[in-house]
Amino acid sequence: MSHSRPTTPMVPSLLGLALGGCEGVQSALSASGDEAHDIRLLLWIAGAVCAATLVLVLVFGILAFNGSARVRAWIARDQLIVSGGLVLPVVVLSGLLAYALLVLQAGAARSAFAGEPSVTIIGKRWWWKVIYRDSEGREVVSANELRLPLGQPISLRLITDDVIHSFWAPKLAGKLDMIPGRTNVLTVQSNEVGVSRGQCAEYCGGAHALMAFYVVTLPEEEYQAWLAREASKALPPATEAEKRGHAVFVESGCGACHTIRGTEARGTIGPDLTHVGSRMSLAAATLPNDANSFARWITDNQHIKPENLMPPFRHFKAGELDTLANYLDSLK
Amino acid sequence: MIGVFVRRWKLIGLVALGTVALLIFLAAIFMASGVYNVAASERHFLVTNKLLAFTLQRSIETHSMFVEVPKQNEEDLVPLGANHFSSACALCHGSPTERRNAVVLRMLPTPPPLKEAATKWTPAQLFWIVKHGLKYTGMPAWPGAQRDDEVWAVVAFLRRLPDMDRAEYRRLVRAEPRTESEERSPLVFEQKEELPHFCSRCHGTASTLPASRRVPALHGQSAGYLKRALEEYRNGTRSSGFMEPVATNLTAAQIDSLSNEYAERDPIHTAPVPKDSRSLKRGRAIAEIGIRESGIPPCLACHSGRASKQFPILRGLSADYMMGQLSLWRRGLRDETAYGAIMAVIANRLNQQQIRDVTAYLESLQNKHSADRPSAGRGGE
Repeated sequence: MSHSRPTTPMVPSLLGLALGGCEGVQSALSASGDEAHDIRLLLWIAGAVCAATLVLVLVFGILAFNGSARVRAWIARDQLIVSGGLVLPVVVLSGLLAYALLVLQAGAARSAFAGEPSVTIIGKRWWWKVIYRDSEGREVVSANELRLPLGQPISLRLITDDVIHSFWAPKLAGKLDMIPGRTNVLTVQSNEVGVSRGQCAEYCGGAHALMAFYVVTLPEEEYQAWLAREASKALPPATEAEKRGHAVFVESGCGACHTIRGTEARGTIGPDLTHVGSRMSLAAATLPNDANSFARWITDNQHIKPENLMPPFRHFKAGELDTLANYLDSLK
Repeated sequence: MIGVFVRRWKLIGLVALGTVALLIFLAAIFMASGVYNVAASERHFLVTNKLLAFTLQRSIETHSMFVEVPKQNEEDLVPLGANHFSSACALCHGSPTERRNAVVLRMLPTPPPLKEAATKWTPAQLFWIVKHGLKYTGMPAWPGAQRDDEVWAVVAFLRRLPDMDRAEYRRLVRAEPRTESEERSPLVFEQKEELPHFCSRCHGTASTLPASRRVPALHGQSAGYLKRALEEYRNGTRSSGFMEPVATNLTAAQIDSLSNEYAERDPIHTAPVPKDSRSLKRGRAIAEIGIRESGIPPCLACHSGRASKQFPILRGLSADYMMGQLSLWRRGLRDETAYGAIMAVIANRLNQQQIRDVTAYLESLQNKHSADRPSAGRGGE
């Protein structure tokens, strides 16, 4: 019976998903960034022009069938055909095109002001490596989360380690692809403190849908304080339990793929775990960030995110997995 | 006219049917009566013997038609096959130094001496027989599931057997036990300076290399790993026709003492491998840094002896042994245990060239427990 799963809670959650598309953490309609604002304005203007054109065509249609002979003769004149059928579309469409191009260029134009420090985001199957620079220009490696200072343009250098991905934080800006061998720069400015969500917008393999991230906008001082903490080494394990957890981490060879700065673990295949406990989520916004999720991920990651690079680790003796999970959770 | 024909055929049909029914009835009576003698002491009729032999011959010939004979270094397989033969096969089939046991001679069919087996059967046929065994003869199938690589070692030995004299066989199986206690019970070792004779025949004595490059030297290996390996062989989660039969009856105490006995030994160095410096350099990069783009972590992060004692130490192990094990992982034969499942993922990311490079490099390392080890998990960026 343990396999049967209650179906009723699915309905509200599906409803929530459907509505979540319109509003909330991942909606282009509730923009919080400059670029997303511009894009939303473009959407409204283009939509309004389309609507106006439709109304105009309908009015002319009605008149053409039901109007008096004089009106119908006026509609049939060559000048009207030329101006309404040729000149008007050329002007409107060209205008929209120019406007859209202007909006699309907005990021590039703004990057002139953005300058350093920029944030480098590397797309991987299926997570994001995020590299900040601190005030002294040193690299600060993190993952699966983008933190931004409020109201400042920041250049995001978008690259990929494997296939084409697309970086899309709908509340911040439009999509921009990550293309092998190229660095694409997207400049974003978030004008609202809070959390939003983004995800990969270009199919990149089986677990593509599980490649998401959170964007956290902080007031300037908080951002600097956060960056300083993120740049620091991991706190040495404080309690006996954390020490045991750290020992399990070292013994199990986790450091071959993961880095915890300040320890021997210096692997670069998987995400940096120095402050993993302080992130919003685990496994690229796939799991909540708590000890239970760490334990699930370590033992069962191939079911949670099939074909991800991490092998399943199920060799732990009683209690070891929990101490390891709690230790990782303590890395704030 | 036609009616007469039909009636005649009808009659013939009825008579035939009746005969068959009668025969089946008689056969049933015969079986149920218990008159037939199943005693092994009772030999078959000559004609039965001929028919059985013919059927066996044809069955083996037909079924071995699609066996592919791999190209490999048979020289290195012969000692391995010989040692397995001496402990698993010789009891029934005899060997250059042992006659078949009197008990065995009373089996029906009597297991044949195999001195000339290779002249009667082709290598593919020998392989098929050793792998699958023979029904109704007492010849068992190979115990290690899908371990064809091991079966070929026995075939290599059988092919050498026609030309093998007693001295060579004795040398191959390191025949003479050194002490009386070893002779009494090959797993007991009272003299601490020597390793148990039974294990050392294949895995090497305190001062000699293993019998074949396909056999790992266990000297200085992590005791935790050795214990785990023996337990996995014992419970069948690690497949090997050589090791499973040996481990079946080991007690927990024996496993402990064997593991510790080997772990405490000084590492023994394999014969120097022909060095291709570029290959070694590539192998070193894989072992110490890994290949980030391919998701291959550095081997030594787990296998240097500093991580969990459950992870084997790979320094100085024979490259052939490691390649053999990696190929088992790539064939999906070693992922049953939690530890095996970890390595299975990594093994499948290595290509053949990388496997050759990294195993050659790991073999070239001396298995010292000294301070000059590289640190674990040095980053690739």
